[in-house]
Amino acid sequence: MSAATVPAPMALDYASISRASSEHDVLMDPWIEAEEHYRYPVTRRPLSDAEKFYSLAEAWRLDVRFTSSLTQMILHPTYQRIIGMGVAAVPFLLRELERKPDHWFWALHAITGADPVKPEDRGKLRKMAEAWLTWGKEQGLAW
Amino acid sequence: MGQGAGAGLVSNELESIFPHLTPFNHSITSPVSPDYNCIAWAAGETDRWWWPLAGSFAYWPSNVPVQETLDAFIKAFGSIGFTPCGNAVIEQGHEKVALYVDENGKPTHAARQRPNGRWTSKLGQGQDIEHELDGLTGAVYGVVAQVLKRPIDE
Repeated sequence: MSAATVPAPMALDYASISRASSEHDVLMDPWIEAEEHYRYPVTRRPLSDAEKFYSLAEAWRLDVRFTSSLTQMILHPTYQRIIGMGVAAVPFLLRELERKPDHWFWALHAITGADPVKPEDRGKLRKMAEAWLTWGKEQGLAW
Repeated sequence: MGQGAGAGLVSNELESIFPHLTPFNHSITSPVSPDYNCIAWAAGETDRWWWPLAGSFAYWPSNVPVQETLDAFIKAFGSIGFTPCGNAVIEQGHEKVALYVDENGKPTHAARQRPNGRWTSKLGQGQDIEHELDGLTGAVYGVVAQVLKRPIDE
């Protein structure tokens, strides 16, 4: 069958269908769910910010786990895509820092312009994470 | 698998990534830790990341160029007493560090020689391992480009 002959999704007028009996609902609800799935399958559903962030973060961790190069880490395409999420990524970045310190500092700096880490704490992940979490609280952010 | 491998990779996974590692020529010697990297470990530190990146994102010795070049890395280790050395043979009274570079000459990794003549490395954010010097050469870390040495404090 060519693409031109694929039928359009059925547009049923559910409001006009009588719902007089619960038996009818039992039959119709799965049909409605099936039709919604046909219209909006998981593969076409836009990812939430959380889904997007965690899928990118996991891919990044896997790819950079053997590198010591912060340059490679922050220039990695998935890391750049997290920066590209903008302020929507900030709560997730702070949550990750709270859960397990990692090199999210460049992303936070790139998005917010802030740099709360003391010079003497450069490279000390736990202290850097503490500084950013304190900054987040001072900004009134929730994560 | 070596002792204290923690939640990191097991040896056979490492061997698939570093083809010169075999079950008989390396051992895992620490748990996973994000607190330090291979450069810090080679320099004898375990509480911070060393890397030449401007800003507050990593430690780099002051007065050393903030550049990803072999020369800058030699100078960074020079700031803690290391000088260039012509070989990786164990020398009584000295400790040695080997610097690895990729195909473009950019530093990728550092390993430190142990008193038994073998080498110890921190693998990114993963574990420390003990290995032969060429055990980590290959696609990931490239080749050893420079060996440095300094006297051991008695």
